[in-house]
Amino acid sequence: MIASGDPRHKSGQSSSKVGVGSSLFEVIQLEKSFGGIRALCGVSLRLEKEGIVSIIGPNGAGKTTFINVTTGMYFPDEGDVYFQGQNITGLPAHMVAHLGISRTFQLEELFSSMTVLENAMVGCHTGSRTGMFAAGFRLRSAREEENRTRGEALENLRMVGLEHRAADDVNSLPLGERKMLGIARSLGVKPNLIMLDEPASGLAAHEIAKLGDLVQKLVENRLAVIIVEHNMPFVMSISKRVIVLDYGRKIADGSPDDVRADPGVIKAYLGEED
Amino acid sequence: MKEDGRFKTNIPWLIFLTAIIVLPIIVRSNYIVSVMFFVAIYGMLSIGMGLLMGQAGLFSLAHPTWFGLGAYIPGILSARGIIPPLPGIFVGAICVALIAYIVGAPVLRLRGFYLACATFAIILIAQVVAAQLTNLTGGPEGLVGIPALSLGGFVFKTDLHFYYLSWAFCLGCYWFCSNLINSRIGCAMKSFHDSEVASQSIGVNVAKYKLQIFILTAVMASFAGSIFCFYLRFAVPDSFGFPLLVELLMMIIIGGVGHLRGPLTGTFVVLWLTELIHGYLGKIFPVMTNEVDAIFFGILIIIVLIFMPRGLTGWIDQLINLGRKLYDRFRGSTT
Amino acid sequence: MTLLSQIIQYAISGITSGSIYAIVGICWSTVFLISGVMNFATGEFVMLGGMLTWVFFDAGLGLAYAVILAITCTVLIAILLERIVIRPVRYPTEMTYMLITIASASVIKGIILITCGSETRTVKPFIEIEPINILGATLIPQAIVVTGVLVIVTLGLLWFFNYTLFGKALRASSINQIAASLIGVDVSKFRLFCFGLAGALGALAGIVITPIAFTGYNITPIAFTGYNIGLMAALKGLVVAIVGGWSIGGTVLAGLALGLVEGFVAGFISTGWKDALALSIMVLFLIFQTIDFSRRRRKIFP
Repeated sequence: MIASGDPRHKSGQSSSKVGVGSSLFEVIQLEKSFGGIRALCGVSLRLEKEGIVSIIGPNGAGKTTFINVTTGMYFPDEGDVYFQGQNITGLPAHMVAHLGISRTFQLEELFSSMTVLENAMVGCHTGSRTGMFAAGFRLRSAREEENRTRGEALENLRMVGLEHRAADDVNSLPLGERKMLGIARSLGVKPNLIMLDEPASGLAAHEIAKLGDLVQKLVENRLAVIIVEHNMPFVMSISKRVIVLDYGRKIADGSPDDVRADPGVIKAYLGEED
Repeated sequence: MKEDGRFKTNIPWLIFLTAIIVLPIIVRSNYIVSVMFFVAIYGMLSIGMGLLMGQAGLFSLAHPTWFGLGAYIPGILSARGIIPPLPGIFVGAICVALIAYIVGAPVLRLRGFYLACATFAIILIAQVVAAQLTNLTGGPEGLVGIPALSLGGFVFKTDLHFYYLSWAFCLGCYWFCSNLINSRIGCAMKSFHDSEVASQSIGVNVAKYKLQIFILTAVMASFAGSIFCFYLRFAVPDSFGFPLLVELLMMIIIGGVGHLRGPLTGTFVVLWLTELIHGYLGKIFPVMTNEVDAIFFGILIIIVLIFMPRGLTGWIDQLINLGRKLYDRFRGSTT
Repeated sequence: MTLLSQIIQYAISGITSGSIYAIVGICWSTVFLISGVMNFATGEFVMLGGMLTWVFFDAGLGLAYAVILAITCTVLIAILLERIVIRPVRYPTEMTYMLITIASASVIKGIILITCGSETRTVKPFIEIEPINILGATLIPQAIVVTGVLVIVTLGLLWFFNYTLFGKALRASSINQIAASLIGVDVSKFRLFCFGLAGALGALAGIVITPIAFTGYNITPIAFTGYNIGLMAALKGLVVAIVGGWSIGGTVLAGLALGLVEGFVAGFISTGWKDALALSIMVLFLIFQTIDFSRRRRKIFP
């Protein structure tokens, strides 16, 4: 089963490390600059439980940097990231994935030399244990685990509606299906929190509708979803909470209606009135 | 990760295995057997390098060094009577694994071209070290006095014995690597070749797998080196240097790295071509050294890189695909 | 010999070989920066320069003619290399270029071996004056020629890249090829030019070392010329280009520094280890560069 929400917090959870409250995900005063450009300055965010949070903002507002820093791709200059009470600041990306945060990419970053199913299977990497020797000698345990992984991967593909393309080459997929495969692959981690980086960009209306349904389904499976997006109608329709970033600062945080009415947000998007 | 076709995949395997076993019985030519012995030895090296380059995308060129260490360590140990040859092979492999770990951990942090440069430098450094530590290695004149390889009471003497020994190791390595490629580790390897960030984001410990695969191929090269050393009963630093690297690159490029059979095919083609060239051109050119071979093979590499970037096996696969398509169209038009 | 004269002697030979390394390093960096090709045939240009000079000199031409002919031929070979081998590559990657130039290098090397034989060769020194004695150390005139060539090449290239329109365009295209081609710069012509330039510089380096002979006190590492000097020359050049950060000034400094270090190691410790030293410096330098000091929790050994 994917995303069953089973309390599968493999490592971590050592009670000694529990720092800030019992929230699912908390970011405190995150800072990151590249050269002289401050991509994030003092962003804080707290997620209590599953649900959808959207992060919006103009180009260059630091949205993707936020994902990169919180998932361990970049190291933050300042600030801390907590996940399920554990401080994960500066953990390498693969450890963060092991703890149960997964993400997708703006440009999908699919594994182009593999089939759709294999992509989804690599996604299930954290769930399997086979070492080099077991794999090389093709021991029984390795074969069993492979079959199990294949089942999980197919399950994930079914979730996003791609099981009919399992055997196809990745490069033959259209953009909408590529985005879906990206999500299916990241579901293999069995995450508790999934971050989608611009999942709707470049999609047609019916594909966006499908994406919306999928995200709702993920939430029903007790997942927390952070969506970074440009597409306002999509964001406003799907999420109960919207955060606006501008020049690396959080300028608004609230329900879609509040955000829409926020003068700071209007200023950031439309520029100042003369 | 194939959708179980055990019979399909096993039949070519069985044919190949039988061919290897039966070959010396049919041909009864010492010459052919000894060339095929070298195919197996170089095959182990090129399979490892093909695995690194093609599957994991690591351009590590240090293979001649692992080969040389695999030859020198058991050679020295047995020449001095510290450890008998056969256990020496495994002791050598363990030492090579350790050295590969110590070297690989920092060096594998480099990417692309810089990794190639650093590993290339390692080959030459190792060669200088082997030539300079005269007391230990015999220096540039070579290591002599290596005893014969024996298993229980059985002594490996003839080319035939070494033929079977080397092919046993080579096929073992091939089988291990092909299993590995089709396993979760192989997929993880391909994944970080395709996109390292995506691979990390789904929990693949890229550094760990790079190091593991690096050590695995180093150990394979070490086995090849050990057998090579006990076959010649001699080792010189010059045989583990740049010319060997060029030869290996040749095998990999000509064979293609898309699949494991590529490097092995390449090894076969290159070694037999070398023999042909030596046979025919030896009369024309008085000096037939490796450098003269290198002219022909250099031109061959250039042609292959320009016209068949995926090597012979990739090219043949393309031809087969084309043939299949034409056949389908033909059938479609008749029915 | 006193210690002082020894030190001076090693410094002289170090600077001489360092100058060669620097010139070869510049060959690497011009080609790499502008075309993105790691040209392993650079060392063969050095070898060709020396061997062709010997060929023409041996055939009875004057030294000046032999030098000019050798440089012209090497430039032609470099240009042919770019046209016949580099340009037609259909799926250009860093590695394809690297492998294809390694292959070309061995072809060139083999052809020279067949046609010119495997002996080391030499020609007469360019300026025929007696070796100069400095505090007991001998300064052979050819060393002055080598260093002079480095100075001229460095100054010339700095002027060329900073003060001529063509040079500035070259630098621009090295920063961003696509943008340069958008404003009407013919990038492919530039690549050809760079190969030609590298050929000329490499040949020059190869020529000036050809007359350096082993005297009793001279431990200059590269002396004479032969079919097989290319690999080491190329590697030393690569080392200084990498350590020098692919810039002309950095490469020259790195080249001289490497030459000096090598000279002293060879003089005071052992000549055998000197090649390993340069390469170890490169490996350590590369590894050092990968260390990201900004990470608080870092693991070197995964």
